[in-house]
Amino acid sequence: METPVAVKPKIAFFDFTSCEGCQLTVVDSLADHIELLSVVEIVQFREAMSERGEDYQIAFIEGSCTRPSDEPRLKAIREQADIVVALGACAHLGGINSIRNRQPLQDVRAYVYGEEAELFETYPARPISAVIDVDVSIPGCPINPREFVQTVKMLLQGRQPEPPDYPLCIECKSLENVCVYLRGKTCLGPITRAGCDAICPAYGDGCEGCRGIISNPNYEAMKAVLDWHGLDMAEVEAKTTMFLTYQTMNMDEKKENGHGH
Amino acid sequence: MDFKIMPKSALPDWVKKLTILYRVVAPVPKHGQIVFDEITDPSTLTMLYPQSVLPPKKYLFPQHEVMLNYKLDGSWFEANIESEPTVVLGIHTCDLHAVKLFDRIFSQGYADQHYQARRDDIFLVSIECLTPCTDESFCRSMGTLSATSVFDLHLIDLGEDYAIEIGSDRGESLLNGFKNVFNATSTDEERVNDRLKDKWAEFPYRLDFDVTELSGLLAENFSSEYWDELGEICLACGQCTQVCPTCYCFDITDERSLTGEIGQRTRTWDSCQIDMFAEVAGGHNFRKSRAARQRHRFMRKGKYQMDAYGLVGCVGCGRCAEACLVGITPVKTFNAIHKRQLEKEEA
Repeated sequence: METPVAVKPKIAFFDFTSCEGCQLTVVDSLADHIELLSVVEIVQFREAMSERGEDYQIAFIEGSCTRPSDEPRLKAIREQADIVVALGACAHLGGINSIRNRQPLQDVRAYVYGEEAELFETYPARPISAVIDVDVSIPGCPINPREFVQTVKMLLQGRQPEPPDYPLCIECKSLENVCVYLRGKTCLGPITRAGCDAICPAYGDGCEGCRGIISNPNYEAMKAVLDWHGLDMAEVEAKTTMFLTYQTMNMDEKKENGHGH
Repeated sequence: MDFKIMPKSALPDWVKKLTILYRVVAPVPKHGQIVFDEITDPSTLTMLYPQSVLPPKKYLFPQHEVMLNYKLDGSWFEANIESEPTVVLGIHTCDLHAVKLFDRIFSQGYADQHYQARRDDIFLVSIECLTPCTDESFCRSMGTLSATSVFDLHLIDLGEDYAIEIGSDRGESLLNGFKNVFNATSTDEERVNDRLKDKWAEFPYRLDFDVTELSGLLAENFSSEYWDELGEICLACGQCTQVCPTCYCFDITDERSLTGEIGQRTRTWDSCQIDMFAEVAGGHNFRKSRAARQRHRFMRKGKYQMDAYGLVGCVGCGRCAEACLVGITPVKTFNAIHKRQLEKEEA
C-alpha cells in the first residue's frame, strides 16, 4: 500500500504596525532550517517574496492593531486561516507601539506627524488578540528563531505550542548569569516569561519584558523591588511600559476597579 | 583518621595530572562570581571561594538532560545515559551533605539510572571550610560544617600543606603515582586537629534553636500566618529553588522530529515556586497562592525530607538567601516561626 502524500499546509505572513524584524528573523530561521520549506508552502510573505496567494491555512501576523482600518484586515485573515499565530511582541502584547497609550492621542499624532497629523488615522495600540482570536503566540522582540521553528513543527504535528509561563529568573539562574541587580541595574526577569535564553541579562542588561508578563505575577512586589533599587515612580512606569503598556494599564485598571467594589 | 599530606605548591601539578585522565570541574571565577566549571588549566582554580552560584549538583543532575530517544511507532527506544569520569574539586561540606540526601532520594524506590550512572562516575574531592563563605551561610546551625562520609578525598588547608583525608579506595586512586603526597606524621595529625578545633569559633549559630527541633516546629506551624506574609512579598521568581543544592524537581517534555518519526524525552529543572507547578489535569492548581508555595518549600527543607529520608532538606549553604530579591531567607523564616511559637506558648 502506498503512503498517501500529505498535502503541504499553506502558510502566509502578514504585517501590521511593526518593524518587520520578526519576519526577518523568520527568513533567518528558514535559512537555517531549510527542511521546513519542504513540508509547508508559503503563499504570501511580502518581506521575502512577491507572489500572493489567499488560500492559506496558517497565518503568522506580525505587528499590533493601531488604527480602525486594521480591524477588517485582521478579521479577514481570521476568517480565512484555520490557525492564527501572533508573531512577536507587537502582535502578542501591543509592544512598543502601545507606549503611546499612556499619552493623549492628539499629542502623539502631532508629535509624529506634525501639521499633517489630522491626515493619519490612529487609536490606542493593541495586541491582535484584542480584535481576533489568536491560537498561538510566539513572544519576543524579536522572536527567538529556535522557538519559531519549534512552534511551526508543533503546529504541523497537530500539537498546541505553549510558550513558557514561568519567570525569566528560572532560566537566567540556571545559566549562572550575574543577577542584573548585583550589577546595580534593574530587571523585569522575576515577572517576565522565560524562553529567550536570558539573552539580555547574559550580556549584562536588565530584562525589559518583551516576552510578556507571566500568569499571576506579583506585580506589586516587582514594583517595590524596582523602588528599592532606586527607581522613582516615573522610572518604574518607564521600566514597566517599554513593551508592557497594554498589559500594565489593564492591570492598573483592574486593581482600581477591584478597590471600587 | 587516614590521611596524607600534600604541599600546596604541588596542587597545580596534581590537578594537571587529573585533567589528563578525567574531566575536572572546580570553582572558577566568572564575571566576579564563582561557578563550577571544567578546568584544563589549574591556575584558574580557586580553593578558597565564596559560595558558587549553582551547587555542583549540576554534574549529577544537570539543568537539562536527554533521558530517552525513541521511534514514535514504538519499534525502538533507548535510554540515554550520559556520564563521563569526572572529578569535582573543592566541593564545600554543605554541598556534600546535599549529595548524601540526593543519593538516598535517587536510589530509593524507583532508582534513577541517569543519576546513578553519573554518581558512579564522579569523584568528590571536598574541602574543609575554615571561615564562613558568605554572610548568608548557616552551615553550623544545620550541622553541615563538617563531613565524615560521601567524599572520596577531603582536603584540609594547613597553611603550607593540604591534609588529605581518604574517603574511599577510588579517592585514594586519584593520588596513585603522584610523588608529592606523603604519609602523615603524628605532628601532622596535631596540625589537623588544631585546625579543626579552632575553626568552629569562626562560625556563628544562626538559628535561635536546635536544628533537631525544626521538623516539629514546622509541623506545628503549618497554618501560621507567617506564610501569608511571605506570599505577599515573594516574587515567585524561582531563584531560590534554582540555586538550592537539595532541590531536584524536574519537568519532562517530549520533542518530535519534524516528520514525526523520532522522539526525544528531556527533563529540565522545575520549581515549586512557579504558578503552574502544581496545576494538574483539569486545570486545578493545588498550590495556587504564593504563600502555599513558600510554605511548601520550607516544609520540604525542614520537615518533609526528614520524614522521608531521615536527613534535613536544608544544608545551610545560604545560596537562596543570597539570590532572593525580597530578602526571604531560611534563617529569618525559621527564626520567625520559632519566635511566634514561643509567643504562642507564653500566651
